[in-house]
Amino acid sequence: MMNAWRWWWGILLAFSLLALARAVVPLPFVIEVLIFSIYTMGCNFLLGRVGFISFGQPAYLAAGAYGTAFYLFYFGTNPYIGILAGIVSGLAVAGIVGPLFVRLRSDYFALVNLALAVIMYYLMQKVLAGITRGDNGLWFLTRLSSTPVLDISRPGQFFIFALLVALAVWVLYKYLDDSIYGACCLATKINEDKLEFIGYSNYKVRLAAFLIANTTTALAGAMYAVYLGFVSPEITSPHRAPDPVVVTILGGTGTLYGPIVGAIAYTGMKDVISKMIGNWELFIGFLLVFIMLAGEKGIWGTLQPRLEKLLSARKARTAAGEVAEARR
Amino acid sequence: MDAQLLIPGVIFGLSIGAIFFLMAIGLSLCFGLMRIISLDQLLYYSIGAYLTYTVSLATGSVWLGMLAGVAVAGVASLVVERVVFLRIYERELTFSMITSFGILIGGIGVIKYFWGVVPRPVAIPTLTQVDIAGTEVPVYRLMVIGIAAVVYAGIWVFLNGTIIGKAIGAGIENVEHVEGLGINVSRLFTITFVIAGTLSGLAGGLHAPLIMVDPQMGLEVLAFVFMVVIIGGLGSIKGTLVSAFIVGQVVSLGSLVYAPLAQMAPFAIMLLILLIKPTGLYGSALLKR
Repeated sequence: MMNAWRWWWGILLAFSLLALARAVVPLPFVIEVLIFSIYTMGCNFLLGRVGFISFGQPAYLAAGAYGTAFYLFYFGTNPYIGILAGIVSGLAVAGIVGPLFVRLRSDYFALVNLALAVIMYYLMQKVLAGITRGDNGLWFLTRLSSTPVLDISRPGQFFIFALLVALAVWVLYKYLDDSIYGACCLATKINEDKLEFIGYSNYKVRLAAFLIANTTTALAGAMYAVYLGFVSPEITSPHRAPDPVVVTILGGTGTLYGPIVGAIAYTGMKDVISKMIGNWELFIGFLLVFIMLAGEKGIWGTLQPRLEKLLSARKARTAAGEVAEARR
Repeated sequence: MDAQLLIPGVIFGLSIGAIFFLMAIGLSLCFGLMRIISLDQLLYYSIGAYLTYTVSLATGSVWLGMLAGVAVAGVASLVVERVVFLRIYERELTFSMITSFGILIGGIGVIKYFWGVVPRPVAIPTLTQVDIAGTEVPVYRLMVIGIAAVVYAGIWVFLNGTIIGKAIGAGIENVEHVEGLGINVSRLFTITFVIAGTLSGLAGGLHAPLIMVDPQMGLEVLAFVFMVVIIGGLGSIKGTLVSAFIVGQVVSLGSLVYAPLAQMAPFAIMLLILLIKPTGLYGSALLKR
C-alpha cells in the first residue's frame, strides 16, 4: 500500500494541480499544456530512454492530425472515432518508415527524420493539395457531433478528456520505464553490444520504442485536431521541428515529470513573450543555445535532486525525533 | 521528351545541384572532421543571400554583393564557432545538432528583425543567353556550375596539396593521431568551420538571383541539402559531389515530368539508398567515435 502510494503521489499531485489550475488559469492554456506534454512525452522517451534524437516529430504529429481531419471532414462526425483514426494513421506512418529508420545510426536518424518532416510539409501543402486544401487547411469544428458520456466537442469537457488521456499516457510511460522493456531501451542507448550479447534484438527494441513514441505523438496531433477543429500544413512546418526537443531538454531529458514541467514552462513563456515581442523565433533559438550551453539537465533535472535532498533531510529529522521520543 | 526541354532541364539541374553541393560540402566537412552536424550552415546561406540583396541594391553590382555576402558569412561562422561550437566539440553529436538548430532559428529571427518578412528579388547579373545545340540557355546558370566546379577543384587541391588540408584529411581519418603529431586541432576545426560557412554563404549569394530571398529560405533548401548529404554519406567530399548531381537532376528532370512529385522523388531515392546502404553511397561505417 505504502509502495503504491509512493509510486503514485507525484503524478497525482501533478495532475490534481493541473486540474486545480483550471480554476485559476485560462482554459486554452491548460489544454495546450496538456496536449503539449503528451506530444513531448513521445520525444522524451525516444531521446531520454532510447537515445534517438528525433527532429521529425512534427511529421508524426501531422500524421495524427491529418488522420483525424480526413475522417472528420470527409466521413464521420464522431470525434472519438476521429482520434482513433488519427492514432491508426500515425501508427501506419511510423510503421512504414520505422523499420527503415531505426537501422540507421543516430546521426543519420536525426537527419532523415527532419527530412521526413519537411517532406510531410510539402506533401500536405502542395502534392495532396486537392485533398488537404493546401494552406487553407481543413475546417471541421461545426461538423463535430456531441458524444454521450464526455462531450469533447466542448472545451470544458475536452479539458477533462485531455487530463485523463495525459494521465493514461504518463502511466503507460511510467510502466514502460519500470518494466524489463524499459531496461532494454536504456541498454540499447548505453551499450548495444552487451544487449545483443544477452540475447535481445536491438532492432526490435528500437522499433517498438519508435512505434510507441510516434503513436503517442500522433495521439497528440489527433487531439490538437479535435480541440482546434482545424488542421493546416503549418502543424508540420520545419520551424516547429525543434519544439518537442526544446521542451524535452527544457524539462529534463529522460525524467518522468520533465515533459509536464517543460510544457508548462514553454507554453507559459511563449504566451508571455509573444505578447511582449513579436519576434518569437529569435527568443526560442537563443534560449535553446543557452539551455544547451548552461546545463543540459533542464528544469526538472535540476530540481529533482534538490527536492529529494529536502525530503530526505526532513525524513531524517523526523526519524531523529522519533528516536529521541523513544529514548525518553 | 525533346531536346528543347531536355537541355535546359539538365542545365537547370546542374546549377541547382551545384548550389546544393556548395552547401552540403560544409555540412559534410564539419561532420567528417569535428563530428558535429552544423545546421547553422543554412543560416550562413541566408546571410549570404541577404547581403547579396542589400549590397547589390546599394552598389548596383550583384558580384560585389556576393563577395560581401561570402565575407560576412565567413565572419559570422567564425564568431559562432568561437563563441558556441568551441564548447560543444567534446559533447555528443546530437548536442551539436540541437544547438545549431537553435542558432539557425535565432538567426532567422535576427534576419526578420533587419529585413522583415517580405520576400525580396535580386537582379540576375547577366541576362545573356547562349546557344547550345539549338536551345537558348541562360549564361548565369552556366556560371554557377563553373563556380561550383572551381570550388570542387579548389577543395581538392587544398585537401591534397597544402599542409593544413592534409592535416584536415588526416583528421577525418583519426583526429587523435593528428593531435598526437603536435598539430593544433582546435585551429584546424576553426579553419574547417569557416571554410564551410564561407561556402554556404557563396551558395546563398549564387542562389539569390535565381529565387526570391526570404527569411525562411534556409529552411526551404534544408530538406534537399540533407538528402544530398545523406545520399552521399556524411564526411565524404566525393559522395557529396555525386549525390548533389543526382538530386539536382532528379529535381529538375522530375519537375518536367510531374511538378509536385519533383520534391518527393529525391526523398524516395534517399530511402532506397538507405535501404541498400545505411551509411550512404560513400560514407564509411567506421565513422563512429
